Amino acid sequence: MAVVLLPSMLAAEAGGASRFEPDAGTVGEALRALPVANLVFDERGDLRPLVNVYVDGIDVREGDGLETTLEGSETIRLVAAIAGG
Amino acid sequence: MSVFVLAGTRKGLFLLESDDERRDWSLSGPFLTGWSVFHAVVDPRDGTIHAATNNEVYGATTHRSTNRGETWQRAGELGLPEDTGLTLEKTWHIEPGRPGQDGRLWLGGAPGVLFRTDDGGENWEPVDGIVRHETRERWLPGAGGMCCHSIALDPDEPQRMYVGISAAGVFRTEDGGETWTPANQGTAADFLPDPFPELGQCVHKLLVHPARPDRLWQQNHCGVYRSDDRGEHWERLEGNGLPSGFGFPLALDHRDPDVAFVIPEEGAQNRVTCDGRLGVYRTHDGGASWSLLTSGLPEPAWGAVMREGFSSDRLDSAGIYFGAQSGSLFVSPDTGETWIEAASQLPPILSVEAAEWR
Repeated sequence: MAVVLLPSMLAAEAGGASRFEPDAGTVGEALRALPVANLVFDERGDLRPLVNVYVDGIDVREGDGLETTLEGSETIRLVAAIAGG
Repeated sequence: MSVFVLAGTRKGLFLLESDDERRDWSLSGPFLTGWSVFHAVVDPRDGTIHAATNNEVYGATTHRSTNRGETWQRAGELGLPEDTGLTLEKTWHIEPGRPGQDGRLWLGGAPGVLFRTDDGGENWEPVDGIVRHETRERWLPGAGGMCCHSIALDPDEPQRMYVGISAAGVFRTEDGGETWTPANQGTAADFLPDPFPELGQCVHKLLVHPARPDRLWQQNHCGVYRSDDRGEHWERLEGNGLPSGFGFPLALDHRDPDVAFVIPEEGAQNRVTCDGRLGVYRTHDGGASWSLLTSGLPEPAWGAVMREGFSSDRLDSAGIYFGAQSGSLFVSPDTGETWIEAASQLPPILSVEAAEWR
């Protein structure tokens, strides 16, 4: 299964766990299965603009976005874009 | 008995504890690391801490803790219906419901929205009477966004409550939140073509006096006001000891409806405390006159206190509390006569609430 790695703030919101292995066919399905999905997505279900998603190091926005299919061996890393002070 | 102060900051929540003398304080925290805590309050019905929490990346939400900050739960459902065309921008203020209404709390946020929960903060339902208010297209955002920052319940009349929205004004409901009527007569909106419109005023903070619920106090962008008829009419109060009508925070003395506290700023174009000092102004006569309180407060100082940064407790000699953008938290155990710096070097303080855990 693909692995999702959370940054520290999301891990704190997930009860301390930073690594998840959701049963998912796409990146979007994997992220929506997280216990922090309502921080990753807004109330419309859109990925929040300052949340960056990398699959094996490649920004999904450069490809198929949340529809990016998963084979099962990928590492999905969520990274907060630099914002605020 | 222990007295607590919840200090919400740009970088988490801090908790201060003292005895009823309120002179020596211990600090714990930060809790909710990474979140800007716009407001935090202890629900007097069950002791739960509720916090309005915001993050530039992860959005606006609420958190609650039933064990004094040891662990936290985040809200589940919180958002605005798609057909409104609105999306939640910020959470600003949480107001616990009435005794006997277990699980009910109210949440104000931006863009000028109100929510209600009946399950203690897990799921928040938008209040259509505000979210879909017929005058919404005439509302304008202030510098801090279009925020619903004040929620005040009439302690005697279970269907009556008020909200303050910047810059939409004060609204009152007499039916538990179904319908809302503007309550701004006599309050100025100097930034609009009509300086006394039905609505559109930039209310900065609104409070109901708990012992005399028909009496409301308001710190506005354009003046300090009092109403003695549930917001039907407002009387402007400065020019009699206050150096400026502009300011954000407001506090009351729960024992005496003629007493109020404000911390004026120079003006909208220069948002620092007046006359180069961090001064609290108090009235004993319903706003007819104001006197400056400075004993223990820094001078010179060019400070700022946010709209949620001022609070009072319910002890017999009311304690008054405020937190500054400088990160200092000041306490007066004697209703403003003297002040103690209970904490310093905190992140910029956004909100202050006093609480008792028995």
